[in-house]
Amino acid sequence: MTAAQAVLDRVTRVPGVRGALIASAEDGLVVAEQLMDGVDGRAAAALAGSLVGRLARTADGAGRRAPAFVQLRAERGSILVAPCPKDLVLIAVVAADANVGLARLEMLDAASRLH
Amino acid sequence: MSLVNFTAREITCKIVYYGPGRSGKTTNLQYVYGRVPESRRGRMVSLATQTDRTLFFDFLPLELGSISGFATKFQLYTVPGQSYYNATRKLVLQGADGVVFVADSQARRFDDNLESLQNLQDNLLAQGVDIRQLPVVFQYNKQDLPRDLILTHEEMDDALNFRAVHSFAGDALHGTGVFETLRGISELVLKRLAAGAVAG
Amino acid sequence: MRALEPWVEAPLQTFLAESSARLTLLMTSSGQVVAQHGFSRSLDVMTAAALGAGIGASTEELARLMGSSRFEALVHHGARQSCLLAGFGTPRGRWIGLVVFGPETSVGIVQLFFDQMVQQLASAARRDEPAAVRLPENFEHELDASLKALFGR
Ligand SMILES: Nc1nc2c(ncn2[C@@H]2O[C@H](COP(=O)(O)OP(=O)(O)OP(=O)(O)O)[C@@H](O)[C@H]2O)c(=O)[nH]1
Ligand SMILES: [Mg+2]
Repeated sequence: MTAAQAVLDRVTRVPGVRGALIASAEDGLVVAEQLMDGVDGRAAAALAGSLVGRLARTADGAGRRAPAFVQLRAERGSILVAPCPKDLVLIAVVAADANVGLARLEMLDAASRLH
Repeated sequence: MSLVNFTAREITCKIVYYGPGRSGKTTNLQYVYGRVPESRRGRMVSLATQTDRTLFFDFLPLELGSISGFATKFQLYTVPGQSYYNATRKLVLQGADGVVFVADSQARRFDDNLESLQNLQDNLLAQGVDIRQLPVVFQYNKQDLPRDLILTHEEMDDALNFRAVHSFAGDALHGTGVFETLRGISELVLKRLAAGAVAG
Repeated sequence: MRALEPWVEAPLQTFLAESSARLTLLMTSSGQVVAQHGFSRSLDVMTAAALGAGIGASTEELARLMGSSRFEALVHHGARQSCLLAGFGTPRGRWIGLVVFGPETSVGIVQLFFDQMVQQLASAARRDEPAAVRLPENFEHELDASLKALFGR
């Protein structure tokens, strides 16, 4: 199993997580994914990549450090994004009743180990 | 297929210069480019080898101005004449509204002209187009060369022009016949359009 | 933005807004311009369409030679801007899209919304069936006059 697959495995094991993927932030393209049916990984990668890029530029413009974790909450669930080294982002698509706290811990830990 | 747009009132036609290698297709476009006012032409693009042989195509966009309130545009293309570029020739020929067949009048190029004309017919047929249904004119180029090297206009007609379509004697290097040829094909293409061809 | 057919406008407008593309050109597979955004000179648009269609046609032919079906898209990554070239089917035949974009967006975003536009174009085209049309009666007469004026003989 590759390092990327191991990371995705740990994140998707958290209750309520419907899929996880690693994308390249600059391109918004999927690098690795583990998704349940009905989750559009390509869209998540493109949009999350763009979101992280914009947030980083905004933070930079305001003289702040780029965020280490982003939660985008919608009606039927959330998208969680953790920027990783090497211009990668770790993304999780989670249901409304997911354990976001646990997912966040797993993602931050995994993100730091994606070298 | 010409693109006729009734909302935007625009007509765009694709005209392809066909013929054997070194017959003077590129030279025709270069002459047109040099003589048409800048406001009526775009950049001429030539995708050529280092020795100036056409590799993919030459392309020259022209604006003819307004006819009956329709902004009329022409796209002139040349194909590479050398026989091993046939795949490319087929691509350029796609969707052509009219063809100018530029033949080399030199007697020693007789067979090359015939072979290229046959090749045009085959490539059109492969795209479901019968050459008899397509506007075509001939240009017998290099008529400036010494008499003993070339065939006359009549001899060229006998050799190539079986359907007696419009044909023009040419010297593309100096411009003789270049605009007459372009006018000839433009007229055929646009009249066919006016005769009831429907938007593409 | 400029589209030859009104039904192309809404899908293209959405694409432009969502993708932040700098230049967009839609053309038929034989190189006729269907719609464009971002070019300032109509003659340059024709040239870009001829080149785009040429690349599209040769990559498709190349794909066939190599025994695969067609390539979905071709992305050229440049230092300051990048370029996406993708062919797609429409109820009006095969078209090609050429998109030039900068670092303010990404290839993932451009591709995502490009695919959405392709779907929207397909349904918009079905709603807008082309009517049989004719050129005006006097077209041929005016043609003679125009050709005389243009070619000066
Ligand atoms: N004497 C003479 N030479 C010509 C004439 N037209 C073209 N040439 C010359 O013939 C050569 C080939 O001309 P091109 O226009 O490049 O020929 P082409 O048909 O585009 O050739 P390919 O691209 O290989 O298919 C050049 O050296 C031209 O200068 C002409 O009317 N008279
Ligand atoms: Mg040439």
